[in-house]
Amino acid sequence: MAQDPIVTDLLDFIAADRPGDGAFNALALKLFAWQFQHNQPFARFARTRGKTPRTVKHWADIPAVPINAFKTLDLTCCPPEDAAAVFMTSGTTQGGLRGKSYHADLAVYDASMRRNFAERFMRGAQKMAMGVLFPTTEMMPNSSLAHYLDLAVRSFGTPGSGHLIGPDGIDLPRLIADLERAEASGEPYGLLGASFSLVHALDALQAQGRSFRLPLGSRILDTGGFKGQSRELALDEFYDSLAATFGVSRSDCVNMYGMTELSTQFYDDGNAVCPSVKSGPHWTRTRVVNPLTGGAVPKGETGVLAHTDLAHYNIVTTILTEDAGVEVDGGFLLLGRVAGAEAQGCSMAVDEFLSAAAAG
Amino acid sequence: MPERAGYLPGLDPAALQWQTLTFGRTGTALAVEVPVLGAGDMTRLAAHVRQQAAERLRPLPVARVVEAVDAAIARLLDRSDPYRRRMDDLLPIVTGYDREMVRLGLTQYLKTFRKPELLRFLAEDFANPAMLDDFQPLPKGGFGKAFGPPLLAHIWAGNVPGLPLWTQVSGLLVKAGGIGKVPSAEPLFATWFAQLLAEVAPDLAGCLAVVWWQGGEEAPERALLQAADLTLAYGSNASLAAIQSRMPPAKRFLAYGHKVSFAMIAAAALDPAKAGDTARRAAYDVARYDQQGCFAPHVVFVEHGGAITPRTFARYLARELAAFGERYPRRGLTMAEAGSVAAWRQREEFTHGGEVLGDEAGTWSVSYQEGGAGFGPSCLNRAVRVVAVDNLADVPAQVAPYRTLLQTVGIAAPPGDLFRLAEALGEAGVTRIAALGDMTAPEAGWHHDGRFNLLDLVQITEIDARAEPAADRLAPYAD
Repeated sequence: MAQDPIVTDLLDFIAADRPGDGAFNALALKLFAWQFQHNQPFARFARTRGKTPRTVKHWADIPAVPINAFKTLDLTCCPPEDAAAVFMTSGTTQGGLRGKSYHADLAVYDASMRRNFAERFMRGAQKMAMGVLFPTTEMMPNSSLAHYLDLAVRSFGTPGSGHLIGPDGIDLPRLIADLERAEASGEPYGLLGASFSLVHALDALQAQGRSFRLPLGSRILDTGGFKGQSRELALDEFYDSLAATFGVSRSDCVNMYGMTELSTQFYDDGNAVCPSVKSGPHWTRTRVVNPLTGGAVPKGETGVLAHTDLAHYNIVTTILTEDAGVEVDGGFLLLGRVAGAEAQGCSMAVDEFLSAAAAG
Repeated sequence: MPERAGYLPGLDPAALQWQTLTFGRTGTALAVEVPVLGAGDMTRLAAHVRQQAAERLRPLPVARVVEAVDAAIARLLDRSDPYRRRMDDLLPIVTGYDREMVRLGLTQYLKTFRKPELLRFLAEDFANPAMLDDFQPLPKGGFGKAFGPPLLAHIWAGNVPGLPLWTQVSGLLVKAGGIGKVPSAEPLFATWFAQLLAEVAPDLAGCLAVVWWQGGEEAPERALLQAADLTLAYGSNASLAAIQSRMPPAKRFLAYGHKVSFAMIAAAALDPAKAGDTARRAAYDVARYDQQGCFAPHVVFVEHGGAITPRTFARYLARELAAFGERYPRRGLTMAEAGSVAAWRQREEFTHGGEVLGDEAGTWSVSYQEGGAGFGPSCLNRAVRVVAVDNLADVPAQVAPYRTLLQTVGIAAPPGDLFRLAEALGEAGVTRIAALGDMTAPEAGWHHDGRFNLLDLVQITEIDARAEPAADRLAPYAD
């Protein structure tokens, strides 16, 4: 099948060496027009906000789609049934509705992941022994994170790299064997997984009184944070524990910030200091906005993150998250989920109504 | 000199620590010092207030208490009075509400606490208010007297200006010594009322204290709950449950939880001559105090069949909200509040499939939904859902599952419908039916959340009908 020209454009752009703002803007507008033509729910969304390819002249004016919309709208340029992959959110909020991202194919997603991961996690290294504390794509076919971690192992892992989580949870003997082998060989080791899985691993190793000194060049990647998990850790405590248990300095502990509603991830340059500065590659832009007006908030002030990710071409490029953040030099700080506001008076707030109604 | 909150008869302010709260998100900043009380301070304060009330307040006839409150309210209704000037100047800064909206709201509200209204307040709960002063004959025989609690604790919440006055006055009318805890969101009104009462009725200067503690701090709260005979509290269900869990056994606790209110508009209110006025009244109820009061509507049910369709009515309402915003701007929002409004608009559009009208700055929002399960909470701050229904009579069944949360319903309907709907709504748990446009201003003597403001505070001591003849037998003049 002939490759869609828009895919060719994107692969070229991702592969390019530091294209300028003008090139980014041109491709963003091209994608906006393309999505406006092929993605009917998005076109309706944009039109009701007075945004069309005729009126939008700058990427920052592309209307940001709230991630809530991914739960009820089929935001896709290809017919949903033709999608090569459908990634879904966990659906823990809002009555179990799950946000969906339809990918016509994964060539652009994978190219985006590889180039960015090579730079930000591998830091120039070609291959590394890796262990993954997360279920496989077979176990979780609709998880973008499972696909991402699978791709990391397939693209950057040495033979013998693989998943350390099975149907019964963490395979602790295998994790310990991996870590001991790395210590003995002196070859760097990469431990990757969900933040809460790393906490479980820390707890299990600490219960056995085990700690390791992984060789220089070893790295840890965590993602997802701890909200809603059995144990919530302060970030400093978490990275101190990782450093103490695995012998990897905090500056080699990288946090990845990714979303089902995007095709590109954001990274920091280690967590020597928390919260760390996060940033994305040249095919993304992040703005800090007032979620109600969509207007940018002044640098240094807290707002909500809006991301433009050209690699998310089959869906929408620009999304409004529910993550609070602040713009700083070199990127942005991620400050966690935006909390719902409590009523100032005696009227009932939405969250309270929902919990009271559920209890009643 | 910073404004100080708290009124602490019997305690030496110089011996206390003070903490500063700052207000004024947009524009003028204001620092308010609040007293930091330990459990020991609270216990000493409670003992002082209890003793002062026993000596000075409880022996007074209720008519004298009414006069004292009336005198204080008269001062507050005088716009040149220094206390009223501070209210008009500072409450808009503390709460963020529009200055003119606060001024008009305060006057309207304070008027419901003048002497005639206070007498109605008493008559509403006591067939014979003299029961608060003396043993009075009871219809069944014997005699009864109503005793308020010697010490009543109030725990207030929220920033709707003047809210504490309801229970401050209720407590005084039943001659209870009072200690009220102000919320960090608005610590001044209750303080000023206590100070002013001490000015107009120096005898009562030690009977009504105002305290503060940081939300969640348990030691002073436990000391107050322990010392008081009866505690009443406002707040979210979670905060009320937390207080309840700390109540000493066998003490009484009156909880006023957060509530949801809504409006209903009959087809008859939607002819071209009346629809504009109907929309203006609904918009007023939404805009007043930015929906933060429990009596503000979250949803407006609009009946099909009028000359103006429900969808057109939603546009009328939007226009009126925009106009109110010009005259009485909505207060500035925190990023979290802005996020809540954004999330509400998104849910209305994407989850409920509604049509969302709103200005770009987000100062008002109207969503329109055709039928379905339309009842649900608003994000507040002037956001309301219009739900089109075929027949208003179907609405009570829809809201009945939420009976513990329901409060006011604003109705625009002909008289027959008014009473028919009131019957079904009362059955569903609604406790107040108001005219559209009056939702946010309860009348004097209303039954808050369907309860008795004064009767709920007192206990009756009765002299059994046979006690008097029995006493007769022991009289020195017995034959």
